[in-house]
Amino acid sequence: MRALLLLAGRYLVGLRRRTHVAAVSGVTFGAMALGAAALVLTLALLEGFQTTIRRQLTERGVHAELRPRSGASLPGGDWLQRLRQRHPELELRALSGGAVWCTSDGEAAPAELEVVDTLSRVEVNRILAASLGVGAGAPLTVASPRLVLTPLGFAPVRRTLDVAAVTPLRPGEERAVLRVPPELGRALLGLQGPRRVEVRSPDPALAWDVASRVQGELPDDVEVVSFRELNRPLLAALALERVMIGFGVALIMVVAALNLLCNLALLAAEKRLDSALLQAMGLDSARLRQLFLLLGVGVGAAGGLAGTLLGAVGAWVLDVTHAIPLPAGVFIVSHVPFRPTPGAAAVVLGISMLAALLASLPPALAVARRSVVEGLRYE
Amino acid sequence: MSEVHPTSPAVQVDGVGKGYGSGDRRVEVLRGVNLEVRRGEMLALVGPSGVGKSTFLHLLGLLDQQDSGRIQLFGQDIGLLTPRERARWRNLRIGFVFQFHGLLGEFTLQENIAMPLLIAGSRRDDAMDRARDLGAVVGLGHRLDHFPDQLSGGEQQRGAIARALVAGPALLLADEPTGNLDAATAGAVFEMLQKLHLSRGLTSVIVTHNASLAARCDRTLRLNAVGLEAA
Repeated sequence: MRALLLLAGRYLVGLRRRTHVAAVSGVTFGAMALGAAALVLTLALLEGFQTTIRRQLTERGVHAELRPRSGASLPGGDWLQRLRQRHPELELRALSGGAVWCTSDGEAAPAELEVVDTLSRVEVNRILAASLGVGAGAPLTVASPRLVLTPLGFAPVRRTLDVAAVTPLRPGEERAVLRVPPELGRALLGLQGPRRVEVRSPDPALAWDVASRVQGELPDDVEVVSFRELNRPLLAALALERVMIGFGVALIMVVAALNLLCNLALLAAEKRLDSALLQAMGLDSARLRQLFLLLGVGVGAAGGLAGTLLGAVGAWVLDVTHAIPLPAGVFIVSHVPFRPTPGAAAVVLGISMLAALLASLPPALAVARRSVVEGLRYE
Repeated sequence: MSEVHPTSPAVQVDGVGKGYGSGDRRVEVLRGVNLEVRRGEMLALVGPSGVGKSTFLHLLGLLDQQDSGRIQLFGQDIGLLTPRERARWRNLRIGFVFQFHGLLGEFTLQENIAMPLLIAGSRRDDAMDRARDLGAVVGLGHRLDHFPDQLSGGEQQRGAIARALVAGPALLLADEPTGNLDAATAGAVFEMLQKLHLSRGLTSVIVTHNASLAARCDRTLRLNAVGLEAA
């Protein structure tokens, strides 16, 4: 192996008389490095955005949901009260509701009425606030589908409320929503049992475990839907996005590997006489094959390592310096986030090595199969 | 490695044939060649171009394989060797000098001389020490740090001879070693070859077109279409 390392190192670095081969080796090294850097940057960008999205999900979203196994309403009893007592660290909000119409200043909009048992004020989400042009302190008239008999006949129940707060949109919330305390809900929609219970932990990091905490303490006819299940479509889309974009960018590595293959084939042709001489001196075919594999994997590994470092440092600098700002109010972050991870770097390095190995195999096998005598006649 | 028989001839060739191509394009280069070379003998092989001298030398040097017949080196039938054993023989028991110097361009003269030892797995320092000593023996002690393209033709060929001998082979095969040199340089290189042959107890087979150099060998054989005959 000592001789192989000496030969490989000298052929890669020395190349005393074959400067065009050295230049091509440099280009190959650069191509592998650029490919690796592009892949690391892309994965860091994806990780940055996806981490932000996941953080938004855990910070603003529901961590678990309790639903009836059958029917529209959760069963009665004190199980919810007991659950609250056992888990004071969790926020549990029992919800019921239905569709209503909201009007304000001559504007009208349909909305989803959510009756929240832990709420003591009236809240509207941004969509409803924007469609009616209301803000905190503004009056809002709500008409429910429940009818009451009036001297003029049946008429919908109406209430005029003061909006206490406009709440930001929750992840996945795309409709106008009005949230009211239970007594207002009963007045608008009549007596209703809760349809579901939202569970949240004040610590967003525990979002993934909330379901398992309450799982064993529920009545048989209540099921818990975990954070992962609640957000399955989005999480699956994020995973798919990472795989597909990673795969697409990894094609750069394939191009770089093909360049490496061409370079090695050129080097093998240039070193045809050397190969024959080395075999005449006692280097067997297997070691000659190893030599060219070493050359290819050496360039690939060096390029991949350099590119991975370059990409990781570049991603870190771009993130720390907020180099790519985003318009405020349009995105949930102020700058393009990059998050290089050791796992992604290891994957890129692995891909570099694998691509280099696969690209080196054909020329290495071809060199080892060559006739020594033919090589000696090459001079 | 296979055992070498101490009393057998250095080279024993029986009915060796070798051809290239197939079908109508088949060319038989060697037919039924027989040869015996004693240990310590310096044999010159002459003959017209294209008659198969280099091919014959390649067969003796385990660089190629005969189509028929048997070749024994120091009692070992080389046809029975595995590819790895053949490589090991080329590395340690056979030294090869080519018409062109065959030095590797990316390595210094000292590294070139040491290369067979490095391939054999010797420590780099040991190999370089032995290469330095042998470089001095062939009169290139002051040129060890030079690259091949910085040496004259005679120096390159002397370096090639040193490389062929550094691993202590018993058999030296030289294919027109002075073919690219002027007469004076050729004479000097050949004289050095003779000295090394004697001092190291080598068996040498030398292909040459130079009749005067061939005459300085122990025996001269001419290779022609019907085989080997005394010149």
